[in-house]
This record gives sequence, structure tokens and C-alpha cells, in this order.
Amino acid sequence: MAAALCVTAMSWVASAQDHVVTPPLVSRHVDAVYPSAALVAGQHADVVLVVTVDADGHVTEVKVRESGGPLLDEAAIVAIRQWFFQPAKRDGIALSSRILVPFHFAPPAPPPEMLLPPPSSEPVVGGAGVVSGKGNGGLSTAGSSATAHVALPATPNTPKEPEKSTEVTVTGRALTPSRGASDFTFDVGSFEAVPRQNSTQLLTLAPGILLTNEGGDGHAEQVFLRGFDAREGQDIEFSVGGVPINEVGNLHGNGYADTHFIIPELVQTLRVVEGPFDPRQGNFAVAGSANYELGLSRRGLQRGVTAKATVGSFGTERLLLLWAPEGTNEHTFGGVELFKSDGFGQNRDSRRGSAMGQYEGIIGGGGLYRITGTAYANRYHSAGVLRDDDFRAGKIGFYDTYDPAQGGDGTRFTLSGDVEVPRGDTLYRQQFYAIARGMGLRENFTGFLLDPQEPIQSPHAQRGDLIDMDMTESTVGARGSSRTRLKALGRQQEIEVGYSARGDSVQGTQRRIEASTGHPYRVETDLNSRLANVGLYVDGNLSLLKWLSLRGGVRGDLFTFNVQNNCAAQSVAHPSKTNPPGDASCLSQENFGAYRDPTQRAATASTVFLPRGSIILGPFSGVSYNASFGEGTRSIDPGYVAQDAQTPFAKVTAYEAGAAFSGGTEKLSVTARSVFFQTKVDRDLIFSETAGRNILGGGTTRTGWLGTVRLRHRYFDQAANVTLVKSTFDDTHLVVPYVPDLVVRSDTALMDDMPFHIQGAPVKGIAGLGITYVGHRALPYGQRSDVIFTLDASATLRWSMVDIGVAATNLLDRRYRLGEFNYASDFDPSRAPVLSPVRHFSAGAPRALFATLGIAWGAK
Amino acid sequence: MRHAYAVALACLGLCGCVGTTGSDLVEFKSYAAGPEGAEPNQPLTFTTPRGWTVTLTKATFHIGAMYLDSAVPIAGSQATSCILPGLYVASIPGSVDVDVLDGTPHEFSVKGEGTSTQARAGELWLSGADVNAQDDSTVILATEGTASNTNQTIPFKGSITIGQNRAVPPSDPSMPGANPICKQRIVSPLPVDLTPRAGGALLLRINPAGWFSNVEFSALKPPTEPSGVYVFSDSNADQPSLNVFNGLKQASSETYRFSWLKQSPQ
Repeated sequence: MAAALCVTAMSWVASAQDHVVTPPLVSRHVDAVYPSAALVAGQHADVVLVVTVDADGHVTEVKVRESGGPLLDEAAIVAIRQWFFQPAKRDGIALSSRILVPFHFAPPAPPPEMLLPPPSSEPVVGGAGVVSGKGNGGLSTAGSSATAHVALPATPNTPKEPEKSTEVTVTGRALTPSRGASDFTFDVGSFEAVPRQNSTQLLTLAPGILLTNEGGDGHAEQVFLRGFDAREGQDIEFSVGGVPINEVGNLHGNGYADTHFIIPELVQTLRVVEGPFDPRQGNFAVAGSANYELGLSRRGLQRGVTAKATVGSFGTERLLLLWAPEGTNEHTFGGVELFKSDGFGQNRDSRRGSAMGQYEGIIGGGGLYRITGTAYANRYHSAGVLRDDDFRAGKIGFYDTYDPAQGGDGTRFTLSGDVEVPRGDTLYRQQFYAIARGMGLRENFTGFLLDPQEPIQSPHAQRGDLIDMDMTESTVGARGSSRTRLKALGRQQEIEVGYSARGDSVQGTQRRIEASTGHPYRVETDLNSRLANVGLYVDGNLSLLKWLSLRGGVRGDLFTFNVQNNCAAQSVAHPSKTNPPGDASCLSQENFGAYRDPTQRAATASTVFLPRGSIILGPFSGVSYNASFGEGTRSIDPGYVAQDAQTPFAKVTAYEAGAAFSGGTEKLSVTARSVFFQTKVDRDLIFSETAGRNILGGGTTRTGWLGTVRLRHRYFDQAANVTLVKSTFDDTHLVVPYVPDLVVRSDTALMDDMPFHIQGAPVKGIAGLGITYVGHRALPYGQRSDVIFTLDASATLRWSMVDIGVAATNLLDRRYRLGEFNYASDFDPSRAPVLSPVRHFSAGAPRALFATLGIAWGAK
Repeated sequence: MRHAYAVALACLGLCGCVGTTGSDLVEFKSYAAGPEGAEPNQPLTFTTPRGWTVTLTKATFHIGAMYLDSAVPIAGSQATSCILPGLYVASIPGSVDVDVLDGTPHEFSVKGEGTSTQARAGELWLSGADVNAQDDSTVILATEGTASNTNQTIPFKGSITIGQNRAVPPSDPSMPGANPICKQRIVSPLPVDLTPRAGGALLLRINPAGWFSNVEFSALKPPTEPSGVYVFSDSNADQPSLNVFNGLKQASSETYRFSWLKQSPQ
């Protein structure tokens, strides 16, 4: 008996001219054993299996396409589950695939004579079972049935040449065509070994990313990219599985994006496009975009149930449960995370809980559908910023806080569903989503400085600048597209037409809190906003020559704003003498006591058309070249909306030229990229410490270069990148403050089997190292910040279903300043204040150590 | 091609790490002194527009803090707000007690901090620690001397404080916050035209003649002390006391003059 294996020639969903695609290759196979129970019938049959091979080369799903009967089906399935593959790859990145494997069963010819072997206690390993020896030479299989039978040994492992070509289908979502050297798609893979506290920190896999956070563990990170201070999302379009994360109309910052609800272990890939070059990129894609795709591929986490518990410095405790049902692909999973920490220093405790679930199924005809749900809640405190002069004078410690009332909370609930259906040469996609989001934030950057004495108010001293912000947002939206492949110019071309639509209902208030009582004493902002955005795009992927492609198109967006200001009148020059407004924040009178409603509504709309395109040349000896152009936009903060006035959009124009290399040897994969870029913004947003939010500034230009290299080997994975950029104001040519000029990042993962076994099972060792260097950043008033240099490391042993690991962040325990600012503040009203700008900083975390135990069970 | 690439990278590297956001943060010493040339421990004599020849034998002046502004405060909420964020170029947030009969500079208790931005106005805060304190017993001016005219010679002394004794009730009940007490303690805007630089020093010259320019000494209440010294009442109840306070608060460059020294005088 022999099992004939036909590995296939392929026709891929994506055209080979666009991507380098390789099929899975068999690394280890086991012949199927003709079941003895079928010998009686002497069956000849073919069993064809549809086998799903995951990105690690393991068989995750097996279905019978052509049955040879239950006995033969089972024999084939038992065999195929022991096979191991080199996974399919697309542009060097492993991905899951589905192949057809036929088994041909033929009963063996009877032996010429039945010879009894000599008495032996040595077990003989057969193809499907263990034969145990007995003293009388009798043979029986371990776990045999009541009827003795002979387990025939396997035939030699000699796979045959493919006898015929069979279609191979790559499962998963069709990828959008790359926009060039600044379009990065990261398979987290081995870099899960590099310590990262949350999903936002996965962004550092992309070049030029700096993350800071002066708002606490539950506060979104501030992101710097390509010379942009993107704040907490104003200049980067964030999404997860296509569902937007940016919050339109968030008072803390229009476009605020908190990705902490994403469980890091469920991030399968991250696509970062630096620059607005893809017509699919919508609002906030000024510096670029980041889309997280979720999945639970092997990565050491087996299908079944995985539990991880982490304990560490500062009272950190984390419990993670992941569930991946057998027989489903890596996009079907459930996960729950609970986290608490006392935080380092003063006032940095945090708690969060996150749950994510997703199911992906197959629609007849090659389609996919997916349903995703997430739930998230958090509560935290934050230390805020400290004055450098107070720290140097010994009045406050490096990790202390001025105001323990700072902190916040948040909730997020999402439900989304999407389908992707191919019909002929067209791929149709449609997605719907709904998001409910709540956020509270208290922060105090200035102490006792911003409480002016208005004539109509009772006499008062400075009551305190603590901001209390609260926001509730409901979002519903949809996006859809159709991508058609057609022949033109003798080559395969693609045209995609798509849309995105989003409606937001936002209620936001901002108050100031009196330090002595904790009571609000002033309402600064109270807005109810109805915001909508409808976008339409056309994108072409045109192959003019074998070495010349054009990708791009045009995008149009309509933004509508309907904003009710519930506190529109906050001062009056000539108040009523008989009915003075007193200390009320939201007034209901005009000059001389005339009545007016405290509210005011403003509505307006604006449209924008954004051309985007890339020319891609090559590859020539593994090197591709691209030149890209794109315009992007950032919608306006609702607080700036005036009735029927053209909303002051920020419009971005970006250019880049780059080169990307992909090559290597059979054992070592090498990729490298080099990109020169320039981006212009006509009306930028600059952070104001006194306002606690961004305010409109003038035009700016950013010019820079980035370089990346990645080496992938069986035993290591090494990625490094450098970004240099200069950001200046167009009118004064002065440098834009806070943006880092130089960012260097290195990620290293080492993996190998340890030189020992435990109970006969191998032990795998994995080590990770992450290094970050940020040069002196420009600060206001001609100053430069300190450098940031941190080193994070981890080591893990993986044995059977157990993982044990240790990790350290800031391994060198460097005392560094994560954020630095120059502005005026007064945190001690008992003495005369320094009212001119001085240095402030937020402390970076000291060294922290964590230990993790993970157990995975339930999967074969 | 490779050479051009390397040059482009090198240029970008250099360009990327240079450049400024403009201005500079500076630290400097600050001083206050009496009129230039005034000898220590010597009385100071001047004649007021009302015809009084005043000889001061003691004049100790307390400054709580000094500030330099980038612009002159204008009317509006700035008329009632004592702190105007975004306006300040330099801060000297400490105090000094100046013998204004002595032309020798007295150093402030703290260094000044600021930016290298042109200052166009200055402020003096005549207060204790908290300019908003509803009451404050800090003696802003302690003075002794004699005032003479053709008819009489009046020995006087006085201690000026700025607390509830100087509060100005609002004239419009619908604007109770129109006259905050902090406004009574701030001398502003003083004309200034200088730019702070690192290594230099700020000097405030004080000419006490301006304090008494509108004081009618003959209106002082007759002395009750056996010494026969007339005493300023430290309130706004009588003309001489009110006018010495007004003279103290008047933002006149004749009385208070800022200058920038390229290096510290001491």
C-alpha cells in the first residue's frame, strides 16, 4: 500500500505579477496505514482531503472532500494530522493556506508466508500504532480490539512526483495592493517575544514611531510618526479589522484613538501605511494609518484553551484566557483579559478588562463571513507632569504627582460583521459596525493658573485647573467595495470601487474642578454633536509592463457637522443689574439683561477630493522602486464649527520616493527599505498645555528619510529601523516642537530547541530584545529634550503545553523623561508663581520585571 | 549614484538634528535699588510738585515678585485678571526688601527665569506670598522723614500695607468681581523695552519721589505721639495716606525704571 501524494500546481487568488507567492511544502509526512478492518473488503479507493495549513506549518483543519468510506477516511485523516509543512508564503510572509491532498488506498498483496518473529520485548513502531512484544512472540497492537489483527508496517517514505495539477486556494482575506516602500504589513510572529505592554506598542515595529504617555496606563498613547505629533490619534487612522477606532469629536482631541481594548495576543498582523497614499485611507490618515487584523494562529498558542497568568513589579497581575475551537481557522477565537497594576511611583494604578470574540465561516462559492464582538472597561489614575525646577530643588520626587485627582475611565463595546464573496472576476466586500464608547478624563497640566477673575463673578482666588472631561459617543457605520479583475494591455488589471460611511453622536463636556472641594466651578465646554462622514473611492492596480505598475485613484469625502453648544454664552459685558448672572458658567442673558437661550447650534458641511497614486517599478534583482503622491485630510474639531462657515479642514499633501529589497537564501530571508518623504499640512494642530488640547496653528512641512532591514532565519528574527525627519513651520521656518528628529528601533527574537528534553518532549527556548533610541527632541523656546534609550528583554521556555517566561522592561533601569514640555504653570499658589515658560516632564517607567506562566490544552 | 545617496543621507541627518523652535530659556539675576548715585545711610531729599521739600531718612520698600510681559495688558477680562497666561516673558518669583535711599543694587532672593523674547511691559507685585490673599499684613513701605515748605516742617512716618484696608468695593453690584484685591497689589504696566539674555541681569531703579508727588502733608492728622511725628494712617481714609498709596501703585517710569545689564553688578 502506498499513499500517493499530489502536491499541486497552483492558481492563486492574487496575481503572481503582484506578489511572490509560494505554496506550502511538505517537511514531514506519515504514510496512511490501510486499516485492517478494510482488508476483508479489499477496498481500492481515493480519499481526497481539504487540508488547512496554518502559518506555522501545522495542519489545523481537515475536511473530507471525496470519501473512500469511513475507515479509509479516518486512516487518511489520522495520517495527515501528523504531517508538517513549510507554510505558504506571500512576499516572504507566512500565511495559512488550504490544499487538496488525495490518498490512494489499495489493499496489500498477501505475504508469501507468515513468519513468526523471535520472542522479543522490543516495541516495533508501525505506521499507526505501537506493537508490543509478548513472550510467546504473539503480536498485538496497543489498545487493540478484541479481535487480534496484524498491524502492517509502513512502507518507506517515498513521495512521488505530482501526477497532476490541482487548484490551490489561499484562505484568508485578499490583501490590498502595496502602496510602495512605506506600506508595512507585520506578522507579529516571533516578535511576540519582545516585551510590549499593549497593542499600541506593536506600532513600534514600523519605522519612526515614538510612543509617549503622560496620561496614565488607561490613557491612549501619544504617537509621533514621520515628523507628526499625532497626539492620541489625530493624524493616524486606526482601525481593527476595518472597524474604526478614532473618535470623532472627542474633546480631548479630535481623532482620539485608544487601542488598549485590543488583546495583544490576538493581533495577528498589523498593517501600517506611512503617508496618505491609499484611496481607502479616510479621515485622520494624515501621517498614515494602522489597521490591526485579529487572529489566533499557533504562535505557541494551540487551538483549544490557553491560560496565561502574569505577575510582576508594582503589583502587576494579568490573567488571560484564549479559546480557539478545534476545526476552525485562526480567525475564530475568544479571549478575555483581566489586568491590574499599582503602577510605579505615585498615582499610577490601573485596572482593565477586555473581551474579544470572533467567528469566521465559509460561504459557499469561496466566500467568507466574519462576526466580531468586543467589550472593554478600564479605570486608572495618572501622575501627570512635574516641573523640572521643583524636582531639582528636591520639592518633589521624579515619580511623584502634584494632583492625585488625575486619571480616567473608559468603556468600549463594538459589534461588527462582514462578508467577502467572490463572484467571477469580482470580489465583493461589505461590513457593518456599531460602537458604543464612553470616556472620562481628569488632568491638570497647569496647577493654579487658568482661573481668571471675571467682573461678573464673586471675588475668588485661583481655584485650580483640574480639567474634568466626559464623553459619550455612539457610532454606526459601514464600508463596502468591489474589486474587479480584468484583462487589458495583455495583462491582469484590477479596479476597485468602494465606500465608507460613518455617523457619530457625541456628547462631551469639560469642566474645571475646584481643588479644595472637588466640585466643578466652571463649565468650559458642553457640546452635543451629530457628525457624519461619507467617503467614496476608486482605486486602480494597473500593470502596464511586467516591471511597471500604477496604483492609485481618487477619494472624495463629505463631512457634515451639526453641533449644539449648550454653554454658548459664558460672559456678558454689561450684565443685568437686577438679575446678575453671578458665578454661573452658561449664561442666559445678553447685554443689559436681555434674555437669550444658553444654547447655540451650528451646522455646516464640507467636501474634499483627494488624489492618491503610486508608481512601482521592478522588481529588478529583488529591488522595487516606488514614487508616491497623496493628499489626506483631518476633519475639524466640532468646537470650531460655525454656522454655514467653511470648516477649516487640515489638508495634507505628501510625496515619497523609495526602494524595497526582498531576497536572501534558502535559510535566510532579507528585506530592506529606504524611503525619502515630504509632507505639507496647510493648517496644523499644535498642542496647547494651557488648553489641555490641540489648537489650530499655521502651515507646516516635514522632510525626512527612513530605512528598515529585517533578517529572518530559523533561529532568529532581526528587524531594525531608523527615521530622520525635520519638521518646520512654513512662515517662520522654525522647528515644530515635540517631534523627534531621530528614532532608532531594533527588535530581535531568538528561538531554538534547548539541549535537553523533559519526559522525552523537546523544550524550545525563545528570547526577545527590543531597543529604542530617540534623539534630542525640539522643545519650545529653543530647547532640546533629553534622549530616550530603553532596552526591553524576555526569555521563555516552551515545553509541551506549558510556557514559562520572564520579561524585563527598561532593563537598564534608566531614569528617563518620556515627555518633556516648556510652558508656564503654578502648582503652589502659596508663593509667587513662575509665570514664564519652564521645563516640565512626565517620568518614564523604571525597570519592571514580570513572570508569566501559560498553559494550553485541548488541542492535538 | 551611491555617493549622491550618501550625501543626501548625511545632509538629511545633519538637517534633521538642527534647527530651533525659536527664542531661548534664560536664567538671570535680578536687582532693585534706589536712585543712581544715592549714597547708603544718607538721607534723600527732593521737592514735590506741591512744593514740599521731602527728606527721607528711611524708606524700605518690599517687592513680592516682578514680571516682564511680551505685551501691554489691554482692557477686558485682563482688566480684572491678575494673571494673564501667555503674556509673560520673565518671572522673578521671589521677594526683596530694598533700601531705596541706597543706590546700591539689592539682589532678589531668587533668580529670574524667562525667555529671550522682547519684553514691552513690566509688573511689580507688592504683596506677601499670595497676591490673592484677602488680607495681608506685609509692610510694603516703611518710611520716615520730614516734609518742609515755607510755612512748616512736618516730621512723618508711615507703614503701608495692602489688604482689606485697600479694598475697593464694586460700584456696580452686577459686577462683584470688578475690583479684586490682587489688582491693588500690582503695579502695571510699566514701560519696558528689553530682551532678557543668559548671563545678564535685570535692574529696577526706584525713585521714591514719585510716591509723594501728590501728597498734601499739611492734611495729615495732627500727631498724637509725644514725639510730634505725623503718622500716615495706612488706609484710604485720608488724602495723604491714599495718595502715597496711589503713588506707590502708579505705573510711572519716573518712579520705576527697568534696565538690562550685560553682566551682574556684583
